[in-house]
Amino acid sequence: MVFSSLPFLFFYLMAVLAVYKLAPLKVRNLILLLVSLFFYGWGEPVYIFIMLLSIAVDYTHGRLVERWRENDALARRVVASSVLCNLAILFFFKYWDFIAGNINAFTGLSIPEFGLPLPIGISFYTFQTMSYTIDVYRRDAPVQKNAVAFGAYVTLFPQLIAGPIVQYKSVAEQLEGRREDLEKFASGIRRFTVGLAKKALLANAIGELWDASIAAQNLTVAGAWLGLTAYAFQLYFDFSGYSDMAVGLGRMLGFSFLENFDYPYISKSVVEFWKRWHISLTTWFREYVYYPLGGNRVSKAKWVRNILIVWVLTGIWHGAGWNFLLWGLYYAVWMLLERLFLGRYLEKLPSALRHVYTMLVVLVGWALFAVEGLDRLSMFLWTLFGGADAYAAVDGYHFRSYLPVLVILAVASTPAGKNLWGRLGERTRSVLTPLLVLASLVLCTASLVDASYNPFLYFRF
Amino acid sequence: MTKTSQRVTAAVFCLFLAGFGLLHIILPDRNFSPVENRNLRQMPEFTWSALADGSYTAALETYLSDQFPLRDGWMGLKTRYEYLLGKREFHGVYFCGDRLISKLEDDSRSEQNLACVRQLTEKTDIPVYLGLIPTAAEIWKDYLPEGADSFDQTAYLARAQETGAVWVDIAGALAERRDEAVFYRTDHHWTSLGAYCGYTALLEAMGETPAPLGTARRAADDFYGTLYSTSGVHWLQPDSIERYVSGEGVTVENVSSEETHGLYVDSFLAEKDKYASFLGGNMPLYIVRNENAAASKKLLVVRDSYSDSLAPFLSQTFSEIHLLDLRYYRTSAAQYAEENDMDMIFVCYSVENFIKDTDAAMLAQ
Repeated sequence: MVFSSLPFLFFYLMAVLAVYKLAPLKVRNLILLLVSLFFYGWGEPVYIFIMLLSIAVDYTHGRLVERWRENDALARRVVASSVLCNLAILFFFKYWDFIAGNINAFTGLSIPEFGLPLPIGISFYTFQTMSYTIDVYRRDAPVQKNAVAFGAYVTLFPQLIAGPIVQYKSVAEQLEGRREDLEKFASGIRRFTVGLAKKALLANAIGELWDASIAAQNLTVAGAWLGLTAYAFQLYFDFSGYSDMAVGLGRMLGFSFLENFDYPYISKSVVEFWKRWHISLTTWFREYVYYPLGGNRVSKAKWVRNILIVWVLTGIWHGAGWNFLLWGLYYAVWMLLERLFLGRYLEKLPSALRHVYTMLVVLVGWALFAVEGLDRLSMFLWTLFGGADAYAAVDGYHFRSYLPVLVILAVASTPAGKNLWGRLGERTRSVLTPLLVLASLVLCTASLVDASYNPFLYFRF
Repeated sequence: MTKTSQRVTAAVFCLFLAGFGLLHIILPDRNFSPVENRNLRQMPEFTWSALADGSYTAALETYLSDQFPLRDGWMGLKTRYEYLLGKREFHGVYFCGDRLISKLEDDSRSEQNLACVRQLTEKTDIPVYLGLIPTAAEIWKDYLPEGADSFDQTAYLARAQETGAVWVDIAGALAERRDEAVFYRTDHHWTSLGAYCGYTALLEAMGETPAPLGTARRAADDFYGTLYSTSGVHWLQPDSIERYVSGEGVTVENVSSEETHGLYVDSFLAEKDKYASFLGGNMPLYIVRNENAAASKKLLVVRDSYSDSLAPFLSQTFSEIHLLDLRYYRTSAAQYAEENDMDMIFVCYSVENFIKDTDAAMLAQ
């Protein structure tokens, strides 16, 4: 099930909220666990068992760490075991076919490829359960003896499918001690509606432009850049919209999740960009990979190695493909360049130039991310950097058709809206909020109904 | 936010979602959507195996979408606000001020089907006429948004003249009347006036004089066609359907159902698909007979739905017309023409159907 869908909005959400609010506090984690399993099972009926397995494995490992806390060597082995189990599940479902396929291509062996569909959310929940065992070992959070509470943490439907990756220590207390109130609930509604609008109205609208560009027979340089810009907006509003919905839903249920995005497209350097984009992922890699490797408190050579490792892993976390690996490396290089010497020069430039520089780096990065298949990618990059006609009439048509949307997207990528909202008086905001929520719900419903609009193409008759 | 505002926000949110959810459950399910011209998904049956492989939940999602209350209204709302944001193309249809024009995509079969026509000319001695009807995207290309692209029909029509069949210049006839209503504004077909252009083009190619247009009789003035459905643009004026040929003395035999009726089937005028009132819609084979026709000639038309509105004009010139739809009546055109003593074969398709048609291969049999 997907948040931006008619079944979720008009049936699941209200039913869940009703049951949840009416239930006594003690039962609420159990309810969360059950409704979240239902949510997950709606799209993946069989893969529920993988997730239950992951829960069982890490619940047990958590208890074992606690039991053997005195014996540090043993406790560390338990942590290692947990990590290995989770990575094994992830590796098998996500990376096996890619690795096997490439080995076969290079060596001529015939390692079997299974072609199994990827269980939804597996990249998110395996990382979450790993973070649990590690946090318990590090004493950043107490062990969770209640299997239901632990299960609720792993399966929590707001962030199960698309994050943010919730580290156990940031919600440990909230599993038992959360309280909801009207303010949180209303605030959650606001946040959720903003996210829904970002996804259903903004991301979906501009996504069509990217689809048209990448499918075009004679893509021009202008068309490629326009399409890439469309992709950059679509990805941001889609992903951050989802995170907003997750945060909003969490608040409606009484949880406070950490932010996942902080207006990344206003960044003035690549380093800054990665402090604002997919924050929960970079935080996870920093805490559980970068710092254990020594971070930047090691020799320069080792530090470069650490950066490379973290970014390659970040790249391939997003997908099992060479382009994702390239994308990770691409950012590793830019991060190193900025930290080693570029950063100092950048600071001297006017901020507009720094912003343009960052956006160019980010856009080209998205090309690596978006275009799968190395030959398609090289063709696209070739076009992007001048290897095609500069401009065609259809580019003007696309630009004119999408200009109002692009302007809205650009403004919405900055805190301008938030600042304007903050400057309005409390009375104005109080009046506007329910109106805007209603207007957004109406427009989003229209958009979602249309997405299922499927007229029988009558033309052949 | 004030407490009241929080309460109102919570109330608005919950009532809107719960309200439409309840409405969905309470309102009866629809079987068919006239606007979308398709059957709507009904409640799927539950089986454990369907649940396990995900098909049950997928079907349930389709069901919940298809039966959503006020579905057509939501569609129209989305189109309207997208229009406000500058969008001019909706589901493959361009909105051009007062009319809808369908975008034409290229298709790999376009050259293949031309080759099939060439093979037909080689297979039979009966004269073969080829008439490809350009769509509104070609005749009314000045109305398209600037820079909007569509399949290059001019170039294609030029290539189509090389097949060896006698070329019927329908494009020229339509272009002369491009400022008149030769296509519908909410449907992809040509109007009766447009069909008359096709008729005059055929007769010119034959070296004969076409019958005059005659006076128009309005059959309907609330016709919302296919493009209305596809695009979701619901705010245009409806089309009107005109009839120029009275059809007196003309019989139309539906060979597969063995029924005979007149040129027009008025029962369709009460439904959404009013274009089907010409001849009665798509059937494998119709035989149109007119004892009072100008000449005692037999014509085989290998066709698509555009010929439905062409047939009335043809009936004035040909005493017997066989209208063959190769999608349903799979036979060799050459063989059929010879077995039934046809005087002429007219391959008449709109460009948009011809470049996609997979059954035109039968022409070459």
